[in-house]
Amino acid sequence: MTVNTFIAGRGFLYLLDARSKLLLVLLLCVMVFLPISQWGLWLLCVFAFLTAWHAMGFTQALQPLRAILFVLVLMTLFIPLTYRDGESLLVIGRFTVATVESVQNYSFLVSRFLAITYLCTLYLWSTPMADINLALRWYGLPRNAALVLTLAFRFIPFIADSFKMIKDSHALRIGEQSSRRQRLSDAIPTITAALVYALKSIPHFAMSLEHRGLGRSGGRTEYRKLKAKGGLFTQMLVSVMIPTVFWLLFNTL
Amino acid sequence: MERSNPSNMTALRIALVAVLTAVVVVFTLLVRVPTPIKGYISLCDVVITFSAFLFGPWVGAIAGGLGTAIADLIGGYAQWAPLSFIIHGVQGMLIALIARTGMKAKVPGDAKLIMMFAGGLIGMVVMTGGYYVAGGILYGFEAALVEIPLNLMQSGVGVVLGMAVSRAVLKAYPPVRSLAW
Repeated sequence: MTVNTFIAGRGFLYLLDARSKLLLVLLLCVMVFLPISQWGLWLLCVFAFLTAWHAMGFTQALQPLRAILFVLVLMTLFIPLTYRDGESLLVIGRFTVATVESVQNYSFLVSRFLAITYLCTLYLWSTPMADINLALRWYGLPRNAALVLTLAFRFIPFIADSFKMIKDSHALRIGEQSSRRQRLSDAIPTITAALVYALKSIPHFAMSLEHRGLGRSGGRTEYRKLKAKGGLFTQMLVSVMIPTVFWLLFNTL
Repeated sequence: MERSNPSNMTALRIALVAVLTAVVVVFTLLVRVPTPIKGYISLCDVVITFSAFLFGPWVGAIAGGLGTAIADLIGGYAQWAPLSFIIHGVQGMLIALIARTGMKAKVPGDAKLIMMFAGGLIGMVVMTGGYYVAGGILYGFEAALVEIPLNLMQSGVGVVLGMAVSRAVLKAYPPVRSLAW
């Protein structure tokens, strides 16, 4: 199982520090919930898509769109049909399929959802997981919580491999294709074995953490410090200015 | 298992939460059961329920919340990660708190089982309701309605299997009781 979400690419995304980029993404995500024009929202979507295209290529830039395609189809099917008020836009026979208000609402919700999806995905793709952890630490995440996060990422491939092996060995004893209920009850021994295997590793794991200095004053390991190109203050200022300018240009107040 | 030293306790707790978080991620991404209407349900709720029953509210909340959030990040649904962290975190915490009330009280075995089940039911409501509200905010309450049956099914399977697996793990590996927090 691959736990790395970082994709090497180019562009300003890779110049920004993980802390300032996190602030930028958060502010933009908050901004899309404020009163903002549809043009502004769609412009943000287009900008995010073009940034992804420039940074990682066209096929990769389409990936978030594919991931939310099912939800977009649901939105297309349900939103216009459930908003019945307003001027008719599309009428088949006597049935009004869509009104002007329903299409506006649909466009608003789709653009907002797309913008949030692309913003979050771009942050994740352009920032190594270790840097995200360090950024969260800089924003006040406790040391032990950061350690849990780091260790969990280290443990995922190990648990995944163990689970696959246990599943394969249990598959040997399960007979012909049975009912769904039977398959679920057959899953219990596999899940139990996988959990027991994982739980048995905990005491050894805890011991190795102690050997690394956990719990002692002046432990043997420290987190490295993030370095921002051009200074952290400048990057933070840029991260605040981009959403502010965007808001001033496209707010509907 | 040595538990007297405070640093030992910290290391043990960190190891416990990290391992269970990783297990939640694996069960979310690798273990998927096909559903009649095209799609899958994951078994993350099994581990969340299991963690809550055996290890208490903190482990249930942190492993459940963090595990599902990491799974969203890795699985390409980054926009859901903060919401999953809150929803599954609250789910794990509530399941554990309600189940523990039954375990601590001097009640017969059947009543304890009912309290565990009640905890699981509350967890189902929190998870399904939480995702409905979150989906409603993100992409509209009409489209979010479609996910309710799937989420109910996922959390329902999670509660039933979680209860069964908790008992099975306790039988297979009794020292697990000493890890409760």
